[in-house]
Amino acid sequence: MTARDRILSAIRATLGPGKPANEIAIEAALLLEPVDTARPALVAPALPDAFAQKAAALGTTIDRVSGMAGVPQAAARYLKAHGLPPRLAMQPTPELSALDWAGITPSPQIAPDEPAALGLALWGIAESGSLVIHSGPGNPILMSFLPLHHIVVLREATLLPYLEDYAARLSPQQVPRNAILITGPSGTTDIEGSYVRGAHGPGFLHVILVSGAG
Amino acid sequence: MTARFKDRVAAALADPVLKLAIDRTTGNAERKRAAAVADFPQFGAARARGQAIKDHVIAHLDHYLEMFERNATARGTQVHWAADDAEARAIVTNICLAANARRVTRSKSMLGEEIGLPHALADAGIERVETDLAEHIIQLAGEHPSHIIWPAMHRTREQVAELFKTAHQPPPAAEDPATMVQSARRVLREKFLSADVGISGANFLIADTGATCTVTNEGNAELTTTPPRIHIVTAGIEKLVPSTAHAFALLRLLVRSATGGEMTQYTTFHAGPRRTGDADGPEEMHIVLVDNGRTKMLANEFRDMLRCIRCGACMNHCVVYRQIGGHAYGGTYPGPMGSVLTPVLDGLAISRDLPNACTMNGRCAEVCPVGIPLPTLLRAWRRRSWREGLEPAPVRAGIGLWAQFARRPRLYRLATRLGLRVLRLFGRSGWISRLPLARGWTDYRDMPRPAAKSFMDQYRAEQRARK
Repeated sequence: MTARDRILSAIRATLGPGKPANEIAIEAALLLEPVDTARPALVAPALPDAFAQKAAALGTTIDRVSGMAGVPQAAARYLKAHGLPPRLAMQPTPELSALDWAGITPSPQIAPDEPAALGLALWGIAESGSLVIHSGPGNPILMSFLPLHHIVVLREATLLPYLEDYAARLSPQQVPRNAILITGPSGTTDIEGSYVRGAHGPGFLHVILVSGAG
Repeated sequence: MTARFKDRVAAALADPVLKLAIDRTTGNAERKRAAAVADFPQFGAARARGQAIKDHVIAHLDHYLEMFERNATARGTQVHWAADDAEARAIVTNICLAANARRVTRSKSMLGEEIGLPHALADAGIERVETDLAEHIIQLAGEHPSHIIWPAMHRTREQVAELFKTAHQPPPAAEDPATMVQSARRVLREKFLSADVGISGANFLIADTGATCTVTNEGNAELTTTPPRIHIVTAGIEKLVPSTAHAFALLRLLVRSATGGEMTQYTTFHAGPRRTGDADGPEEMHIVLVDNGRTKMLANEFRDMLRCIRCGACMNHCVVYRQIGGHAYGGTYPGPMGSVLTPVLDGLAISRDLPNACTMNGRCAEVCPVGIPLPTLLRAWRRRSWREGLEPAPVRAGIGLWAQFARRPRLYRLATRLGLRVLRLFGRSGWISRLPLARGWTDYRDMPRPAAKSFMDQYRAEQRARK
């Protein structure tokens, strides 16, 4: 008998005959109802404000700009403010490469000790101030973890109120290989519980929050 | 490590540096959890829901295991099953050896510790690099985790600095945590990018997507699982949840209970190996589903323990853990949850002291985010230990003697009166600091002088006065 058979038969010997799958599915769905009683209220009525408050509380810095055309300037501002050269590793996605990067040299490659990288979040979650990224041809995962400064573009139009709203946008049979919710800069409390930023991932997380349709 | 629990406890209590280290971390954790719960008025409802989700999965465990296997396989993950720790170790090391792996990076996983993975990799001649900062510290020190969330919490910053000075080239310039974290970042960065295999654990297994879910704060998990050719996940079979939304409902409880945060910095879902066109990611993904005593718990009085989401709140709030730390427990998992699990994993005969090292104050059950009745489960182990004759002869004789008195109320009260008089003789100052035959107690703390009259005598006197 394989380990699989041994484990499953031990479980069945205890639990007895199971219910039909559709009954179990209904039971599972009901466990999450009503959804509002078991999750926190948003900290502000407008999603951008709620997101910004939550993210800022975790040490994420935020620059609110109007329209995607303002993104390169906002990125340049950030690099300058931190004394960084006008260079960026940039996620190879059309939404970003289509912008006018005059003055900044974006590179699709990322070095192991890259000072700064810029990416685009698929969604933001207002409940927790989280950014969502998915792996894929247009998004190397290491782009979000190797740099010391991680700059993320987030469009207000992609803000979701709650974690469940993100889950609802995933089709179970088509989940990405790697989905990551980023909530603040990398940190650790492993030495005496004292909080230090930049453990292995980015020590600085900066969000360019873009309003408007552009 | 000394063999006897009593000796380990005595050594821990005699170590003032350890006490300082425990106080710093658990005190912080307790305050932060309290603040996070106060900030989440729906916590009670969320806890009831979390408990119901775990109970639902446990009641249909075979269904969800098969569902997970089906969906993980459809995403290209290779699913393995291990009935015990030895099988799990063999599966992982064989994958590494078949791939000619020389260097393996590991992201912290208590299940990995439970199945003895670190040792097995060393035996197979594979270089193991622990990437979680705390695991890096204890790897340098040659130790085991002393806490399931902060594995190196027994070490002060000064002790960590000593380790880094020898192991890091160049050594860190200062002893403050920030400088030491930077030093570890620099040293480990090159290891991440040159590993052949990355091994991680899972906080949840999502049945309807076949993904694993891991929560971390440092970013080491992604750097462990993305660059190597092979990613291996080891996870207990109780980690299943029906869907991503169910995982989120539990995450709200897990993070607040563990660190007092709302979300960890990184909540990561992995579903299979690199796909066509993917910019990075491993070529193979394996998951090892580990039983190791869990189906036995399903069948006996410890089923509730399968709800455990490994947050560590029970140990942060345990008066015993906060005196002796994690190593004194001697098992993989310390504190209240460890005292329930260690007898399952290592056998009651060698761990019967653990369920007895509990004051039954109930704080662990109060803070447990999935409502596990830990004191009840610890009492169940005590009962079993008695039934199986594992209690040593002096304990059995002592309890037998006590029972002789307890069954004869008059004699019992007489003995109580005498006992009170004697005890009061030892506590003239108001406190009893020395007591013959009870040095195990008085060596570490004083006992208040008892009242002059027993409860029953006071009660009777009051009843008479009322008439």
